Amino acid sequence: MSEPKTVLMIDDDSDFVTAVQALLESAGYKVRSAANGRDGLQLAKTLQPDLVLLDVMMSERTEGFFVLQEMRRVPALSNTPVIVMSSIYSDEPVFRVDPEAGWLPASLFLAKPVEPAKLLAEVKRLTSPSEAFAAAAERKQP
Amino acid sequence: MKILKMSKNNLDLFVSVLPAFGEVYAPVKRGDGYAFERPSLWSDVQMNYSRTILPPKKLLLPPREITFVFDPDKGFRDLLAEASKPQVLFGVHSYDIYGLNILDRVFAQAKYPDPYYIKRRKATAVIGVDFVPDEKHCAGSMNADFVDHGFDLFLSDIGDSYLMLVGTSRGDDMVVMSGCLMQQPTAADFEEYKKRSRARRDAYTTRLDLDALPEILEMEYHSKVWDDFGSKCLSCGSCSMVCPTCYCFDIGDETDLGSRAGRRVRSWDSCLLKTHALVAGGENFREERSSRVKFRFYHKQRGFVAEYGRPSCVGCGRCVAVCPAEINIITVIETIRGERDGNASGATASS
Repeated sequence: MSEPKTVLMIDDDSDFVTAVQALLESAGYKVRSAANGRDGLQLAKTLQPDLVLLDVMMSERTEGFFVLQEMRRVPALSNTPVIVMSSIYSDEPVFRVDPEAGWLPASLFLAKPVEPAKLLAEVKRLTSPSEAFAAAAERKQP
Repeated sequence: MKILKMSKNNLDLFVSVLPAFGEVYAPVKRGDGYAFERPSLWSDVQMNYSRTILPPKKLLLPPREITFVFDPDKGFRDLLAEASKPQVLFGVHSYDIYGLNILDRVFAQAKYPDPYYIKRRKATAVIGVDFVPDEKHCAGSMNADFVDHGFDLFLSDIGDSYLMLVGTSRGDDMVVMSGCLMQQPTAADFEEYKKRSRARRDAYTTRLDLDALPEILEMEYHSKVWDDFGSKCLSCGSCSMVCPTCYCFDIGDETDLGSRAGRRVRSWDSCLLKTHALVAGGENFREERSSRVKFRFYHKQRGFVAEYGRPSCVGCGRCVAVCPAEINIITVIETIRGERDGNASGATASS
């Protein structure tokens, strides 16, 4: 049996973390979590997870965006799949920048509340061997 | 030039999309001062800073830059491509933008364009922000209190919002990408801008008279004042290191021990350092400290005027802030103009 995939969840909503953790662990994933960006970034560097679930609005409403930028500067994390999960678009209606417009270096953006089946399917997709192979190939490119 | 308005409440959201244009550097607290660094949170960004320790020059003309590497086995590799990495300088004061414009003249528009500088400058977006002068700023006297080019966007505080001047198509792209964060300014916003501009101009407590200064410097070339300031100067070069327009550099080749592989390195230099004018054979054209102090002032206030039509000082006040001997540009110029007694100004060393 292969090693379980590791998912790092960076989110300050402990109830949401507990629910997602139960969902992913029941599907065979190993889940670690951090309640703020600074701790999350540190944990990501040491853990080098297979996937990161990242909140945006934590102690500050743009905290997750800064964490994502910093993650991408770390060679070991530069291609790690990241799913950004946030309610920023509903909480801050003035912010209408399309997450697909190329400015967000994430694999995927999911608006909260997140449909569990959808989340699980995306986690499976992004941690699948073919995705990991594609990410490794990208890393090898000059 | 397009002018828009953005609520201060939306600035963090706006900055969140800037990484699409490059790595973001902004003024953050560093010890007792400020530095252009990568913020790790929006709250790290200091919008009301006085001045950074080092000017943004450090990101366009790095203190130490490897221009190429060489290896007898692998050959030669130019690192020009490294200079093309996009970056965004957010929160740059007008005098520092003016400083970049002066560096452009030297490195991009002069007889021998510098490809490394030009690559970096083109890859660098600049977002300016206005400031309230403190007792060390004399940007108003240096005509560096307002800039009309050299930035992509410029933010001017009008209370709860910023007026945003769009200076380039890249700045316009930033506005488009940020979606609905901008509004159209009103006539009342423009009035507020003018009121605050006047207030900022009046807030300068340090003023400097530049009238006929190149000529006066010519007349005072052999003045004893330079000996007085020379005896006080420690030749540490700090004033050059923090100056937004000091651009002297040294070039050297470094080889690895036990190998013929190595690199060519460009690093900051200073005309205040004793070795600056030392040439092969041991001749030093500015061996005396007084001649080095004098040279710096003459280059800034006379030589640059002759060559480029304006002094290369932008009035940021950094050299005043860092000089361990408390040599102050205002004091020097007032003394040389005869408006202040050299000894009374502290120009003469106490020893």
